[in-house]
Amino acid sequence: MGLSRRDFLKTSIAASTAASVGMPVAKQAEAAVAAMEKDWEWDKGVCRFCGTGCGLLIARRGDRIVAQKADPDAPVNRGYQCVKGYFNAKIMYGQDRLTQPLLRMKDGKFDKKGKFVPVTWEQAFDEMERQFRRAYAEKGPEGVAMFGSGQWAIAEGYAMNKLFKAGFRSNNIDPNARNCMASAVAAFYSVFGTDEPAGNYDDIEHTDTMILWGANMAEMHTVLWSRIINRRLTAPHVRVVNLTTFRNMSSDGADLEIIFSPGTDLAIQNYIAREIIARNAVNWDFVNKHCVFATGPYDIGYGMRPTDKYAFPAERDIVLKEQRVKLDKYEAIGQRRKEGEVVEQKNTANPAAHWLISFDDFKRALEPYTLDFVAELAKGDPDEPLDQFKNKLRQLVDLYVDPKRKVVSFWTMGFNQHIRGTWVNEQCYMNHLLLGKHSQPGNGAFSLTGQPSACGTAREVGTFSHRLPADRLIPNPAHREYTEKTWKVPAKTINPKPGSFYAKIMRDIEDGSVKWAWVQTNNPWQSHPNINHWLKAARETDCFIVVSDAYPSVSAKVADLVLPAAMHFEKWGMFGNAERRTQCWRQQVPPQGQARADLWQTMEFAKRFKLKDFWGEQTVPGLKAEGFPDGKLPSVLDEAVKMGYSAEDNLYKVLFATPDNLKVRWPDPAVAKGRDNHVVKLLGDGWFPEKALFQEYVVFGRGQAKDLADFDWYYRDDVRGGKWPMTKNDKGEWVEGSWRFNEKYDPFVKKGAGFEFYGKLFKAIPSGNLDGVTDPKPVSVAGKAKIFFRPYAAPVEQPDANYDLWLCTGRVLEHWHTGTMTRRVPELHRSFPAAVLWMHPKDAEARKLKRDDLVWCESRRGKIQLRVETGGRNRMPRGYVYAPFFDEGVLVNKLVNDATCPISKESDYKKWAVKVYKA
Amino acid sequence: MNLSGILVVAKPEWLPAVVDDLGAMPGIEVHQVEEATGRIVVVQEADDVQAEADGLERIQKLPHVVVAQMVYHYFADDPNIDAFLSDQTDGMSASVPAVLNN
Repeated sequence: MGLSRRDFLKTSIAASTAASVGMPVAKQAEAAVAAMEKDWEWDKGVCRFCGTGCGLLIARRGDRIVAQKADPDAPVNRGYQCVKGYFNAKIMYGQDRLTQPLLRMKDGKFDKKGKFVPVTWEQAFDEMERQFRRAYAEKGPEGVAMFGSGQWAIAEGYAMNKLFKAGFRSNNIDPNARNCMASAVAAFYSVFGTDEPAGNYDDIEHTDTMILWGANMAEMHTVLWSRIINRRLTAPHVRVVNLTTFRNMSSDGADLEIIFSPGTDLAIQNYIAREIIARNAVNWDFVNKHCVFATGPYDIGYGMRPTDKYAFPAERDIVLKEQRVKLDKYEAIGQRRKEGEVVEQKNTANPAAHWLISFDDFKRALEPYTLDFVAELAKGDPDEPLDQFKNKLRQLVDLYVDPKRKVVSFWTMGFNQHIRGTWVNEQCYMNHLLLGKHSQPGNGAFSLTGQPSACGTAREVGTFSHRLPADRLIPNPAHREYTEKTWKVPAKTINPKPGSFYAKIMRDIEDGSVKWAWVQTNNPWQSHPNINHWLKAARETDCFIVVSDAYPSVSAKVADLVLPAAMHFEKWGMFGNAERRTQCWRQQVPPQGQARADLWQTMEFAKRFKLKDFWGEQTVPGLKAEGFPDGKLPSVLDEAVKMGYSAEDNLYKVLFATPDNLKVRWPDPAVAKGRDNHVVKLLGDGWFPEKALFQEYVVFGRGQAKDLADFDWYYRDDVRGGKWPMTKNDKGEWVEGSWRFNEKYDPFVKKGAGFEFYGKLFKAIPSGNLDGVTDPKPVSVAGKAKIFFRPYAAPVEQPDANYDLWLCTGRVLEHWHTGTMTRRVPELHRSFPAAVLWMHPKDAEARKLKRDDLVWCESRRGKIQLRVETGGRNRMPRGYVYAPFFDEGVLVNKLVNDATCPISKESDYKKWAVKVYKA
Repeated sequence: MNLSGILVVAKPEWLPAVVDDLGAMPGIEVHQVEEATGRIVVVQEADDVQAEADGLERIQKLPHVVVAQMVYHYFADDPNIDAFLSDQTDGMSASVPAVLNN
């Protein structure tokens, strides 16, 4: 043929690319591909970055991955992938990959002030155990904590959840997903009584209108954005709206861009609702049959500490607002009160309380949200004429209410990372429910997620401090009882007191109440807000910090013990994406050096403890629950003995290598298809833990409309994951779910109901009016969704004469969150080497700054240096700056307050005040 | 040698111009063009991964290009990965990353 090897490779790659995107391929080219790939083995996998859940195909030759392509058969991405996804395999090969355990030592012994020294796994676990026992002896179950992750594979999260909640009897386990989508969860619970979206990605091709609320999908959900653009280009009537606080890449593909001021999304949502009623567009048939109206207290604080004891002097004024707030003009109008009124925050302890109200009350509450009021409050670009902004708000309503239009609203961090995140999520459902545009193909409010298994692991497995698997909650006695029975542990093993949420674990370390903490698959000391506090606490308190990671992250740097973690394709795993799709991959290559899977680390650590270490009586200050003595967890050892356990049994045997699980054997050639499993080899007792633990876990969701299929099904060659609820058809084959709560698509809806919002949580509530509860007797609202009234609440910190600019922090396309993995990939690093501060050219000019100048960006909580960017992909309105947080050299989140939505406990990264001056 | 298969989507009316622009770029070969949809398959060869990423960005910035997405990534001959793998032994002999002890 005369082709050089290079030409031959190029022909093959072109043919393979064409085939991936469904273009015709010549026979000759097909032969070239076959020749190139002669000794390769392809396998299916899933991307380990964002929550989209793109399918990948990876090729290995021996122990090396040699090629990767987007999976043309994956229903999510259909042969596409973004620049991050492209590097799933290469992230394993960064030059500073951690390949051995490292312990801070001095004179041959652990020393908090020592330098990191390589140790064996045995030595690492010895010190980890010694420190754990010290912390537990001093502080009990609440003295230890776990920072988990929405990047945990399902079995990894499940195992750690079980170890903490059943083994250690501690609920101090919380994932970084808390800072990503806890507000979405809280609203799913309050509105529907069950977590996760009703819709799925096919909504994109079914809908006529896509409305992005503070979600820059062009950068953060690139592949879904490609589907949106494709839909827009192939169906001319389709409209895309970008509601955002600054012009970003998504604006380029939008028909309508609405720039609003931070936090005023709450007011815009109420304006839409008011208009729906005023224009007589309420779908009364839907609302009367399937919805009720509700509201809750407004004086719920901001999720900050109840004291200013730990506050830096400059942040004291804001921290004190946790106790009382003086209402500004807009907040006063929106809450039907008087400007300047001081409101004591009386409901900080029970912010999620809510009660039924009448439609008349609901309508009355919306009355202040006129176009004039909302436009004046919400206009985010000072240079935009008010009339133009009003016009845009009108057009937005036109799109929502048009009876011929289907509408999907998308959101992620803009809504979720919000001091009223739960409220603004609820408001989005409010409008879709009023219009009856929900739970149907092309119609629905769709909460996206940021991490590959925020849904699959953090939410479905329930690795939060207040959750148990499949929508079960720690404070609910029946849910604990079910979990204890399923886990075959004695009644009252599980601690009924919810543990510390992510932000509180950090605060607990600072105030000395947590003395031992373990981090897996996340980087809290870079990603969590207000890091100056936590960096100092990590190094200056006597808390022992263990970080399992693949690279030397900021968190590894402040740790006492670093454990090298196996990465994605070095282990087996499953993820659940934002459309409820569970997907899997196999170990393709062995881990580098001594790196090992988190699952092995968790189970190996469990071997070091016996039942008698935890299942005797334990002290838990503040514990108050029916059937428990105040402040105590009872001894369950006698009951354990009756169940056939011995006090001397270790936790590995009781929780993981159970008689049932040991029956799930490795090798399992039908599933493994020639792939290895390093966890199996290291454990050495011949069971297949990823499969056994998954099969144990799926029991929780079966029959609960959270049904997952069997492990082996996901590994079939012809399967590209499945959206739950998974059900079996007449032939006994697994069939995936599609649109929840809609009789036509969801087998869990009662026949004849049409729609049924069957979630079981918070479905018996009192009645009242806009001011509070009038009749405490719980009323059942089974089967119905709640339409909430939630008022506008002003951001707790706003620009003033001193800190005169809004600051928003977030992500960029090229880097994954804190950059721990993607900054090892030279091409990603160089295309976005360091964080910049985007600002309006006039704001720069007013401060005598120009593009690329080095500046200080300072808030009440700290200051950092950044380079000014006045152009590029983000265009800021005057008065507003944006900085991404991926750069470990800058630590942008030092500037951000650790306030949270009081209901969801999710941090707000999006609206804080800073000043900027030349460095 | 780094090779990648890239799908470029051009506005169909501008397809010939985009194909010409792509053909003029160093290291880029146009392999397949679909007139009806404006889809173009190109293969990029670059000395190193930096040049490869820069090339993709240049394609994305061409006039009338709607989408340019990497589809296929071939790195069986990537010298950086080979060097990394040949450095790995049992992991216990690796040095502690300097950043951790600074």
